[in-house]
Amino acid sequence: MTTQIKLHDCAKTFADGTRALAPFDLEITGGETVVLLGPSGCGKTTILRMIAGLEFPDAGGKITFDGDDVTRQSIEKRRVGMVFQSYALFPNMSVAQNVAYGLKVHGVGRDERDARVTAMLEMMHIDMLADRAIDQLSGGQRQRVALARAIAVQPRVLLLDEPLTALDAKLRVRLRTEINGLLRKLGITAVYVTHDQEEAMALGDRIVVMQKGKIAQIGTPREIYRKPQSPFVADFVGAANRLDGQMHDGRLHIGERVFDAVDAFDPRHGDIIDQGPVELYFRADGLSTCEAGDADFTGRVEAVSYLGERLRLTVSGIGSMPVIVDTHPDDVISAGTPVHCRVNADRLTVFPAVAVNS
Amino acid sequence: MIMGRDWKFYAQLGLTIVLCLFIMIPVVMSALAGVTVNVFKGLSSGLTLRWIFEVWDLYAASIVRSLGISIACLLVTLVAGVPLAYVLVRRPGRLTRLFEELLTLPVAIPGLALALALLITYGGFGQYRMSWLFILTGHVLFTLPFMVRSVAAVMAAMDMKTLEEGAASLGAGFWRRFFGVIVPNAKPGILAGALMVVTLSIGEFNLTWMLHTPLTKTLPVGLADAYASMRLEIGSAYTLIFFVLIVPLLIAMQAFADTAKRPPKRDDTAEDTI
Repeated sequence: MTTQIKLHDCAKTFADGTRALAPFDLEITGGETVVLLGPSGCGKTTILRMIAGLEFPDAGGKITFDGDDVTRQSIEKRRVGMVFQSYALFPNMSVAQNVAYGLKVHGVGRDERDARVTAMLEMMHIDMLADRAIDQLSGGQRQRVALARAIAVQPRVLLLDEPLTALDAKLRVRLRTEINGLLRKLGITAVYVTHDQEEAMALGDRIVVMQKGKIAQIGTPREIYRKPQSPFVADFVGAANRLDGQMHDGRLHIGERVFDAVDAFDPRHGDIIDQGPVELYFRADGLSTCEAGDADFTGRVEAVSYLGERLRLTVSGIGSMPVIVDTHPDDVISAGTPVHCRVNADRLTVFPAVAVNS
Repeated sequence: MIMGRDWKFYAQLGLTIVLCLFIMIPVVMSALAGVTVNVFKGLSSGLTLRWIFEVWDLYAASIVRSLGISIACLLVTLVAGVPLAYVLVRRPGRLTRLFEELLTLPVAIPGLALALALLITYGGFGQYRMSWLFILTGHVLFTLPFMVRSVAAVMAAMDMKTLEEGAASLGAGFWRRFFGVIVPNAKPGILAGALMVVTLSIGEFNLTWMLHTPLTKTLPVGLADAYASMRLEIGSAYTLIFFVLIVPLLIAMQAFADTAKRPPKRDDTAEDTI
């Protein structure tokens, strides 16, 4: 069950001429969970469907499972387990019959089938729902049945297409944790599609960030989070604050202020950026509030949200766009008042300003 | 609420009752006429089953033929209509759209015109022209759109694409998916369509009247014949037999439609806690 998957030079152009995916290579190690992350329309689902055999790459592309060429093989032959956002459970069958369906198709004998269905339902903690009709189940229960059904046939790879998107926030986190445990326990190769950065970080051994039909970055959750290689990735994984700056002789200038110790290298070439305009991306921790004397900038509080463990301020007047700054939840700050901020230069990600991608 | 209902309520109630009676009384009168000894003397002449038996003696063959044609019509529309509905829903496009319009044409065109076209085209094929298959052809043309529409409506509502992809990922080939997943889930539409086709075929007169021969009379054609050439009691008795055949079918149709419409029942589960 630890199938290694390779996609080589795969591109996808739809019948109407739309290019969904530029040619790309992707290698998925046996037993690894790879998350395809990106906004809608970025091509992540198309990659998943290519691996599944529901879409085929343009001529020249090649897909292998453990070295076997499966490029032109239909989904029925590929032995992939699929979990859909809309569950795709068969409403004409009970929970147990749904899970047994694939086993029946594969000609597994009755006794073994029953045993395996029971084991699957127990593993997903839904054994008491075995005889229920699908329309009697809640969303979370349905997705459990879908998982049990996909895993029952012992697929070579498990493919999950936004399986948690239709569920409410609390349940999403809970089922996410459970899926994570399941994937580790089974050690199965898995490809997981999501647009949710948190989900991607929680589940992925590696994350593939997609942008407009291209792979923007591949890396571990830590790499993606700490060292985004483009403004797009930085923005997508939550570093939504942006300031403009200038590099002069290796020192960063933001407005009147000058900062010494910053890692400023062009992520695409690895060169140190010495001179020229730069864009700075950072999360709420890139700025902190301080006394007037220590301040790099003074802005104006536009909005205040109390988030329990912190107070989140939207501050204007520092960059061209408002920035988000977090402060202690006990601070009493109201909208419309001035606020002093200090830059935490080590939290900034620096990109050359003439970046090709937005 | 002692005053409760004012005169408006009673006025509406009265109107409703009058309208209902207006529709119901002819039905009752007709049924009664079929079991009255002499309809011109009225009920005082006494009740009898004589006319019923007479109709049966004269027209049993037509009635049985009608049932046979309706069942054959059902089989043909099932075999042709269900896959057709599948293709129309699964592959939407200009061509399938056009085809759907074409398919509905026989419903809009007067039955007489349709029958005339069939006669002009196939009238020369003696054996075919004389057999009940000629009538069946007309009935299939007329009822197929009802089957296709009814099945397609259910299919369109069930996200067939994803269901099929799910089944395919589990290894199921096309036929297995079609008969194991698609058809069972389209059952409400197939049942509703089936009952529609059977009742339409049994009651069809326009087309059939043009297409029939003295040896291929159907139930409604026989009815027209009875009214035109025999005692009023016989025609009425015929109507009574027609009612007995068609009313249970209509009730069944309604019952099936209700099952299909009912919202999914949901046990009081622990909701989304698991």
